[in-house]
Amino acid sequence: MKQLTGILKYLAVIAVSLLALIPFYVLLYLGLNTPSGNVFEGGALPLPDFYFGNFREAWIASQLGTAIGNSLIITAGALLIMVAVSSAAAYSIARFKSKMNALIFNTLLICMMVPAIIITVPLYTLMRSIHGINTLWAMILLLAANGLPMAVFLYTSFIKSLPREVEESAIIDGCTYFSAFWRVTFHFLKPVTASLVILSGLGIWNNYGQAVFFLQRQEMRTVPLAVSMFFQKYGADWNLMAAAAMIGLAPAVLAFLAFQKYFIKGITAGAVKG
Amino acid sequence: MALLRKFNNHLHQYMAIPAIVLFGFFFIYPLIRGVGISLTDSNGITPANFVGLQNFIDFFRDDRAMHDMMTTLWFAIGSAPLLNLFGFLYALLLDQKMAGKGFVRAIVYLPAVISPLIMGYIWYFILQPERGFLYHLGQNLKLEFLQGNWLGSSTSAMVLLIIVNVWQFVGMTMIIYLAGLQSIPAELYEAGRIDGAGGWKTLWNVTIPMLYPSIKINVVTNIIGSLSVFDIIVALTDGGPGYSTESLSLYIMRMQYGSFTGYSTAVALILFLIIIIPVFLFLRLTRNKEVEM
Repeated sequence: MKQLTGILKYLAVIAVSLLALIPFYVLLYLGLNTPSGNVFEGGALPLPDFYFGNFREAWIASQLGTAIGNSLIITAGALLIMVAVSSAAAYSIARFKSKMNALIFNTLLICMMVPAIIITVPLYTLMRSIHGINTLWAMILLLAANGLPMAVFLYTSFIKSLPREVEESAIIDGCTYFSAFWRVTFHFLKPVTASLVILSGLGIWNNYGQAVFFLQRQEMRTVPLAVSMFFQKYGADWNLMAAAAMIGLAPAVLAFLAFQKYFIKGITAGAVKG
Repeated sequence: MALLRKFNNHLHQYMAIPAIVLFGFFFIYPLIRGVGISLTDSNGITPANFVGLQNFIDFFRDDRAMHDMMTTLWFAIGSAPLLNLFGFLYALLLDQKMAGKGFVRAIVYLPAVISPLIMGYIWYFILQPERGFLYHLGQNLKLEFLQGNWLGSSTSAMVLLIIVNVWQFVGMTMIIYLAGLQSIPAELYEAGRIDGAGGWKTLWNVTIPMLYPSIKINVVTNIIGSLSVFDIIVALTDGGPGYSTESLSLYIMRMQYGSFTGYSTAVALILFLIIIIPVFLFLRLTRNKEVEM
């Protein structure tokens, strides 16, 4: 009986994994097929032609290099600002109770429920008036701002669970509370920072809803815009789209695999205990 | 100098200000402007006139908006419970002791790493009529039912949208439940075992109540996510056939391209209410369920 449930468990695990991998297989299949070979012949499990020309062609046609560069700058910039601003805010909110801090926290919490589409039109006017359309810096600030509520929420509940002694010794050594945070407490926040880098970083890397409005010029395009080009402009060029998607998503997948060890830890620490 | 030191000593109380300034500029200010725009007949080009609540009244007379609201609700009613059910089952499965579970967790989460838009395109390739992956697989395996035009009828297209959405985000829900499961102290299970509680009883009396923080996060994010669904629908059905699978956010988006600025902003605010009501109801109804440690 015990052996049977053991086997069933492994079968379930295999089924769950295969199910999650289906589209990745399709992506691989399309990316490695010759442009004429979309339709597969014979056999239950189609194998691709192992043709690598798509990658070259997709790279050139969609200027993926530029897009990856833009996405990297936007993601890194937005994460940097978001982590610095939100961890500082969370420290103040978690440690020093005041009416202002409570108001800020509750405002952010409620705004977490506002879908971004509500503000698209006024945001467009705003971005135009600050000359932020087709610029990376405005996109960085916008996406950093969008990620703030979630980040402040995770950091705040984590800092609340940290004992005050963490920064106390630095205070005794003559630090102000402000510098004690950056010198000491901030380093204890690593698990939450790691999960935010994954969670928000992926959201920023994959952002389409805002990018499609505010980054219209070709040389400003991000990865999702470059990849979806093959779907619209040329009437679904599947092989090139798959090749572009594989190249463009590789940084996200690699970053995820590198950080995933800390991911669950950070979520446990930040979200669930609070 | 003394003033500077005094400032330095109080700096920690004002560290939340940069956050609210940044967020206020890019979110709250446009939101307030949006409320203003929703009370006008703005089309984004000619000067707007104040029309009061007319846009909000028009919403209830707009057949397409009413239809899209129902579509959005059906999508959420299908997605949110299934996401939580499967996310929970996946978490239970991958919380057990076994070799390679970390690897499997990463694989299950992988779909959520890819942008929903690109994922939607891939699923479109798989499911498209006559030329799709599934169609050819059906042909090769001589299975008639795989060759149906699944995206062609509104009911099956809707079911597919829900399945793809659940498939994509089940990993995210699972991670939150896993995190919850791992923060339950082992002594509680031990105590249950000593009291003679079986597997189901432990699940019901120990695991689920202790998971309340995870349930809260998951239900709330799933309600918000599925009621504001957009990318997956754009990629998979583009709202079709006709506008039968069009969600409210997609309608809002289309009207914004079509310069119904005032009206579309009003509809967006209604969507916000549609989201916030079930979230508050859920939080209110389950408020006493939290177990204090």
